[in-house]
Amino acid sequence: MYSRSFAHIILAIILVIWVVPFIALITTSFRSEVASKTSGFWTAFTPTELGHRFSTHDKGQQTKVIEMRGNIFERINKNKEWFTLSGEIKSIMFKGRVPDPDKPGKSKLIRKLVPAGEVMDVRGGDFSFQANGDFVWSFPEAIAPKPKNLDVFINQDPAFGAEAYFEVLLDNKDVPNALISSFIVVVPATIIPITVAAFAAYAFSWMQFPGRDWLFILVVSLMVVPTQLAFLPILQGLNGLASWATALKQWTTDCELTNTCQFPTKSFAGLWLTHTGFGLPLAIFLLRNYIVALPREILESAKIDGANHMQIFVRVVLPLSVPALASFSIFQFLWIWNDLLVAMFIGPSANDDVVFPILLERQLGTFGDQLHLLNASAVISMVVPVIVFLAMQKYFIRGLLAGSVKGG
Amino acid sequence: MRSIQSIIFSNSLAIVLTIVCVLPITAVFIFSLTAPVDDAFANFGLWLHEKYNWSVATFVTELRFAKVGFALRSVIIALFISFLYYWIGNWLNFGLASFRSSNLIGKRSLIVEAIQPWIFVGPALILLLLFLLIPALTTLKISFTEPGGTASVSNYSFLWDPNALGYIQFRLAMRNSLMWLILVPSLCIIFGLLIAVLADSVRWGVVAKTFIFVPLAISFVGAAVIWRNIFAGGGIEPQEAINGVTPSYQIGLLKALLGHTPEYNEPLYNLKFWGNFYLMWIMVWIKTGFAMVIFSAALRGVPQETVEAAIIDGANPRQLFFRVKLPQIFSTVVVVWTYLVTDVLKVFDIPYALSANDDDKLLLATMMEAAMNTWSIGGSKVDNLFAAIAIMLMLTVIPHMIFLGWRIRREQKQLEY
Repeated sequence: MYSRSFAHIILAIILVIWVVPFIALITTSFRSEVASKTSGFWTAFTPTELGHRFSTHDKGQQTKVIEMRGNIFERINKNKEWFTLSGEIKSIMFKGRVPDPDKPGKSKLIRKLVPAGEVMDVRGGDFSFQANGDFVWSFPEAIAPKPKNLDVFINQDPAFGAEAYFEVLLDNKDVPNALISSFIVVVPATIIPITVAAFAAYAFSWMQFPGRDWLFILVVSLMVVPTQLAFLPILQGLNGLASWATALKQWTTDCELTNTCQFPTKSFAGLWLTHTGFGLPLAIFLLRNYIVALPREILESAKIDGANHMQIFVRVVLPLSVPALASFSIFQFLWIWNDLLVAMFIGPSANDDVVFPILLERQLGTFGDQLHLLNASAVISMVVPVIVFLAMQKYFIRGLLAGSVKGG
Repeated sequence: MRSIQSIIFSNSLAIVLTIVCVLPITAVFIFSLTAPVDDAFANFGLWLHEKYNWSVATFVTELRFAKVGFALRSVIIALFISFLYYWIGNWLNFGLASFRSSNLIGKRSLIVEAIQPWIFVGPALILLLLFLLIPALTTLKISFTEPGGTASVSNYSFLWDPNALGYIQFRLAMRNSLMWLILVPSLCIIFGLLIAVLADSVRWGVVAKTFIFVPLAISFVGAAVIWRNIFAGGGIEPQEAINGVTPSYQIGLLKALLGHTPEYNEPLYNLKFWGNFYLMWIMVWIKTGFAMVIFSAALRGVPQETVEAAIIDGANPRQLFFRVKLPQIFSTVVVVWTYLVTDVLKVFDIPYALSANDDDKLLLATMMEAAMNTWSIGGSKVDNLFAAIAIMLMLTVIPHMIFLGWRIRREQKQLEY
């Protein structure tokens, strides 16, 4: 009994540590800019005192008045689509001159917080306000006052809105571009290695050729080679390829007239091939482990029926190894979608063409003051992999186990 | 009569030459032939743009749709070419074999069988050769040459020469790598085991496991953004209200819990030396799910008889775990540990995204990036230095490579018996 409740408590603590960051992310992305940068995400659920600024009335109002009435909330919420404010006005920041008690006849500049109900001097008139936002501004004689900006502290009610998502997706054009680029990179870079690896895995498991086992071990050992090791020569190679292609285009077409001959060194195609190369060892390893475990009688009976290896592979082995194909494709998909390093060194670096992790890394720098945008952008970048991951969890776990637990 | 070897050789040569000539030309041809697809997509985008009155600029819509069109045709062409390769290879193999040995039926299948495996593994081997093996060896060569091309070990001088570029950074990187290597895998394994054991004993364990598992799907940069909300400070100057007096709270949850005032807004991961531990924690948060899943499966694989026998002998839960279950899954723990060690050695994104390659937070992988992009004082030598650091990184994963090779060899032997 004692140990059972102990288990509940420990697991609950661990779970909280793991989940709170997600709550932080999602909460921050649904808050307003002011709220997200001046208060922690955990204050979003309770009334919190935050600073705002409002102007007493619109510019260009010429009618003379003795008394002006209005509501602070109405003024702040004017032209506001998202995060309409409500709550309780705590105080207004008063900045102005008051008679100096030390030096009679002189005045001094002060700043102080004026609570609700207290009268303060604004542009020669008496200004007072209530906690519900109603304010009265009265003057000794009828004048047309200029609008006054006042800083107000409001114990504001929780307000959530999807403004950050709309802003990031519609106004800030980098995020949709990054999504498109990420898809451009991820789809071919997942399908090509699977095709290539499936054929190779079949050969490694069911065909006889000299040096098979040693080649397989070599291929699998390449699995742990750090990808950084290959960057420099690959870049040089792609550079050479790009200049060849440029020369070929110059020779065959009249591109010089339109100045479109140049092939870039850092391109999506280079990224596909590089990801293919880096993903192949794991793909071959996983698929070969799976195919080698398929019942050998299938192969033999198909052979007796007169099928050649190509037919056996396409008609028999491929349909049977769908689970292994799925588990590799999810590995590769996640790895490429989340990859920063390879994309940084090999992939295109123009603002329109960068993949999502690079964009996010740049936004960590540029959105330091707009945390709601940063977090919304991060949420968008995570939606795709998390959905894929949860939908194909079964295959992912199977792939993990195939690599680590013997016979798993 | 010609020997079968020479027939095999000449057939393979014919196949290779055909493919080398036919495939690239087909690819280039199809690619230029389908170029109008991009424009068609761009026009389609413009049509949608006008119909639904989108708020973005027209040229942006045009650009994006052209990109999507380009992507679609690239995917289709790339797939078509790879299938074309296997089809042509196979077809040529059969065709040539029956042509060359029309009078010898038995020989025909011999020739086909000799060439076919290479058609199957060929692309994989060539890609691995071009994108992993040869580049790795070239990097080794670059690391031992001067920019001019003469052989020298001067690129490695940061190992012994205190005046060399990267001397201090390399030491810091090694110190940090060592801390990461010890702490991250150990914490992941401890948490993974703990969660695997606890989750099996409570009813909501599956839910807990799913949540702890999800970070595996998230990019390191995304995780950095997530944990920024916890570790980074508040006190960002509010613009709408006036400085100093406005209520400004701590933004980072952990900083608030530690009682830091809003004015003290340095992120925890920027702290000298101690900042490293906050960066490590992000990695632990991501990777624990991996350890947990594997331990969960391994624990379920522990024979029930041994557990029951221990219970009958009066073992308490702790003894049951440490004396009975853990020894039986120990090999799995070692495997998980080696995987985590390799992951940690290669980790790049987390320190890069959060520490801006501050010397104090360097790891070998981020040191490479720093060498390439920020130590411009070295001029063209930086490439060679980059290669040298890459080789240092390679040296650190060699033990895992040998272990992996040994394990697979052993498994293969077991399969053969």
